[in-house]
Amino acid sequence: MKTKLTRRVVLQGILAGSTAFATMRVLPTMAQQAGGTLNVGLTYELDTMNTYSTGFLADAQHTVIEGLIAPDKDARYVPVLAKEVPTLENGGIVLSEDGSKMTITYHLNENVKWHDGAPFTSADVKFTWEAVKNPDFIAESKDGTQDIDSIDTPDDYTVICNYNTVKPNFASTLFTFGIMPKHLLEGEDLNTSWYNEKPIGTGPFMVSEFVRGQYVVCDKFPEYWRKSADGDQLPYLDRLVFRIVTDSNTLVTQLQSGELDMAVSVPYGRASQLEGAQGVEIIVGPQLSWGHLDFNFRNELLADIAVRKAVAHAINRETLIRVQGGFPIPIKSLVLPLFDLYDDTTPEYAYDPAAANAMLDEAGFARGGDGIREKDGKRLSFAFVVQSGRADDENVQQVIIAQLKEIGIEATADNKTGVAYREARYSGGYDLIYGRWITSADPVYSTFYGSEGENNGQGYSNPELDAVFERLENTLDADERKAAASEMQHIIAEDLPAIALFQGVSVIAKPVELKNFVPNPTNMTNFVDTKEWYLEG
Amino acid sequence: MTDATVPGAINPAAPPQTYWRRVLKRFLKRRLAVIGAAFLVLLGIAVTIGPMLSPYSYDYQDFDLLGMPGPMSAEHWLGTDELGRDALTRLLHGGRVSLAVGLAGAMIAGIVGTLVGAVSGFYRGIPDVILMRFTDVMMSIPTLPLVLLLSGLFRPSPPLLVAIVGILIWMGTARLVRSQFLALREREFVEAARALGASGPRLMFRHILPNAIGPITVASTLAVGSAIMLESALSFLGFGIQPPVPTWGNLLNSASSWLSQAPWLAIPPGLLILFTVLAVNFLGDGLRDAMEPRE
Amino acid sequence: MSLAYIVRRLLGAIPLLLGISVILFAIIQLAPGGPLDIYAENPSVSKEALAQIAARYGLDQPVPVQYFLWLKAVLVGDWGYSIRTGRPVLDEIVYRLGPTLQLGGLAMIISLLIAVPVGMISAARRGSKLDGTVTVLSFAGISTPVFWLALLLQLLFSVQLGWLPSAGYQSIGDGSFIDRLRHIIMPASVLSLATVASWSRFIRSGMIDVLNQDYIRTAYAKGRGEKAVLFFHALRNAMIPAVTVIAVDFVTIISGAVITETVFAWPGIGRLFMESMDGRDYPMLMGLMMMGSLAIVVANIVADICYAALDPRIRYD
Repeated sequence: MKTKLTRRVVLQGILAGSTAFATMRVLPTMAQQAGGTLNVGLTYELDTMNTYSTGFLADAQHTVIEGLIAPDKDARYVPVLAKEVPTLENGGIVLSEDGSKMTITYHLNENVKWHDGAPFTSADVKFTWEAVKNPDFIAESKDGTQDIDSIDTPDDYTVICNYNTVKPNFASTLFTFGIMPKHLLEGEDLNTSWYNEKPIGTGPFMVSEFVRGQYVVCDKFPEYWRKSADGDQLPYLDRLVFRIVTDSNTLVTQLQSGELDMAVSVPYGRASQLEGAQGVEIIVGPQLSWGHLDFNFRNELLADIAVRKAVAHAINRETLIRVQGGFPIPIKSLVLPLFDLYDDTTPEYAYDPAAANAMLDEAGFARGGDGIREKDGKRLSFAFVVQSGRADDENVQQVIIAQLKEIGIEATADNKTGVAYREARYSGGYDLIYGRWITSADPVYSTFYGSEGENNGQGYSNPELDAVFERLENTLDADERKAAASEMQHIIAEDLPAIALFQGVSVIAKPVELKNFVPNPTNMTNFVDTKEWYLEG
Repeated sequence: MTDATVPGAINPAAPPQTYWRRVLKRFLKRRLAVIGAAFLVLLGIAVTIGPMLSPYSYDYQDFDLLGMPGPMSAEHWLGTDELGRDALTRLLHGGRVSLAVGLAGAMIAGIVGTLVGAVSGFYRGIPDVILMRFTDVMMSIPTLPLVLLLSGLFRPSPPLLVAIVGILIWMGTARLVRSQFLALREREFVEAARALGASGPRLMFRHILPNAIGPITVASTLAVGSAIMLESALSFLGFGIQPPVPTWGNLLNSASSWLSQAPWLAIPPGLLILFTVLAVNFLGDGLRDAMEPRE
Repeated sequence: MSLAYIVRRLLGAIPLLLGISVILFAIIQLAPGGPLDIYAENPSVSKEALAQIAARYGLDQPVPVQYFLWLKAVLVGDWGYSIRTGRPVLDEIVYRLGPTLQLGGLAMIISLLIAVPVGMISAARRGSKLDGTVTVLSFAGISTPVFWLALLLQLLFSVQLGWLPSAGYQSIGDGSFIDRLRHIIMPASVLSLATVASWSRFIRSGMIDVLNQDYIRTAYAKGRGEKAVLFFHALRNAMIPAVTVIAVDFVTIISGAVITETVFAWPGIGRLFMESMDGRDYPMLMGLMMMGSLAIVVANIVADICYAALDPRIRYD
């Protein structure tokens, strides 16, 4: 692919840019001003303020609820409620003698207060594990709960988690998503609790009003436990308001008219409309997300590797990126290039419709009268699902449909909304599906392409790959992980359960006056660290 | 319910030319109705022939023009959309689809409504009670939410969408036809036909129906407008016909994002919906006046 | 009008509502997929937990049994729990009903304020240029796609002129009357468009009928001024048929508010309906659809009663 050389440069450029930006702002060249309100637009119907049960990314929630650790702007974990990130080196992680289990110890900060003034202790951490693990609690993700056998709390500020396995990615959900207050929630039914509307957390902001369908108001928590490097009480902002504006036309209108100050997931196609809007600045932040075209292996035609490879050669990423305002970055592996596990030798499929046509000819698919190929009376005609209402995804779909048509494959849009889309995604109600995964700082790839993966709705099963996942996801040894990850990337590129198309970026509209804002690329959202944001002037 | 007025009954034995000639004469005097009819005829011709004359197909993408809406030019009279597709071709093809949905939906509504109303009004008694209670039930369920519920839960294909639109707007026609039948079945010419041994269905369709054709035509014409509006509302909410097939509703929906930058994309489908529904309403209104003259 | 008539109408509504509920329940249950499908493939939720949830919402029972369980509960005022939020269906609906009623109410007032004078003048100057213009405009009103108009208005009044907020129910921390009015005026105007048009047509034809009546001619003959005749004699009688339409249209306005609420981020029933559709929240959808139908049934009865009360010539027995 012609972008081969530039790709990493571009990505690193973005990362370097955001780093420079961040360091520049952190330097206390000018006193940070306290006060001010930031109006943020959310494009989804906020269902619950509980980070474990929301079906969306928890933008608003992360300003209120803190976890033990959190990913930073480079997707590396930094301590929050814990004093340090446990590692083998600092003794926070201890392997059992046979290497099959591990123990993780967190030392907690001692001066942390819940929003109701009660002290935060190790009992809250243990309670969070129990509450999320409880089968009665309907959570979106219970990842990690089943890997822990027991938790010891020798004192108020020490938590020892006894794992029944070795989990290199222990940090991706549990305890990172947030800690719940034991003294308020013990015995509560978390499915229906008041906590889902007005959670009590330890974060820099506390929920003062949640009006369903309209907005959430988060006010500064004056007794927040952290201070800035200069000793200022954090946070600087007085108030963060998250307004629910589900219609993206209205979102853009409100940014233009100044009713909204900020939106963190401006659709790619809309960014150009905000150019020139007064006081609004567009920032492109990296994002741990990738767009991918998945095949359903229950369809025997798609189970044919020749068809999958032909599709891979038929797709021109350059066009797909152009239709998305030029924002996404082309990739060839599902492991994003900024991760250590990325293998640059992963094979790629160049845009080559002639080769694709030749492959299909050779496989015995001949063009019928309407230009669509068929073999033994079976037409290469597929139902193609994307989430309807997402203009960027729908546009990508239209371009892919046109590109497939060139090689004699017919794809018909069958777009779905809400639960219907997710149900199709999980249970394989499609032939082709295009979507974007956004992940934590250390994604668990087996969940997508493992035979038992919870996000594998494709009916894809490859025992060889499963064995590689087994190795990758049960060791803390960096070299062994890298070797396994490399193997995984090669197998996936060869066997093509899915085509990794491009890395997403987040297009953020923010007020020019907002300083210290650092985009966060992970699924913990740009609001994972709001304590130092301030408005200038 | 009061019985509606019945237009001059047609004696099926005599040629009905005089009645229709009178209707036509009265219709031609209604300026707005004639304008509406002329507009619809021209539109029909344009959407039928237009896409055939266009050098582009509705889903052809010019990859060079991709990314932003393109301006109006000699090659693309109404510009191109953000996928590099010719806007005029899509507008005309969308007109085909929208008009087809409107016509087919209204036709289904007309047929179902006429059947239910005819059986109900002709047989009276138990069939009437059952059918009218059912009509009441259907009339009491809010229409737009019901359409959304059906199309949202079942994700219909275009023919099914037409059927859904049709079966949700038949109730008015049914009540209208029933009242016509209740009045007409007592008239002398029906009695005469009955005495001559005409059977139920023959009486209904050969003798009574032609006399009720006026109100049915009017109701069905107006239903075309409702069906077009329903389709555009469904498309706006994301429950309409799937892309890339254009309809005025989904063209308007996707172009509305570019309203300030590329108004040439969003204005035409909106105006065409407006003018078409307006023309249909003028036509229906004119037909009503022509077929059921109120003195 | 007799009390017996009212009672009879109310009793007649019972089988109607039962019929409606059977049809709605059947539609919702026949749809492919269900509210719990989302958890079926998620290993975070065990099979036992799933069965437990299913049992809690009665989803493990055969459909007819589910229907009777639902009916039994509703008869004692229990509309069940939203699967999406876990809160009682009735609470959620009542919570969202307020904003929608305000929106619909104001839309209705705007409609009447415009439609009544327009319809009257049109009727009084029948056949004039003015009448023709009004006729064309009102047809145009019925024919305009709502969301298109809404976007044009937002662009004009919020972005270009900056006079009105483009969307939302109120400013945070400012629930004052003026603030609310500034937020509601644009969506309410958009919502009133179709009814302004159809009501002015309706009042026009009602007025024309009345103006041809003998008693109006008598009033003119007695030398009453035109305005007096129009307002005191004709309007009252012309409004009688309009009452039926207005009562029923109010429910239509509200059920048609889905689009307006989406464009203007209005936190009402319409948005709740769309959220529940996305989430396949069956108890919620059933509750919303039943409430909507109930409103139509009641509006029809009220309209008939008002009709009888206003027009002394009509007697129901």
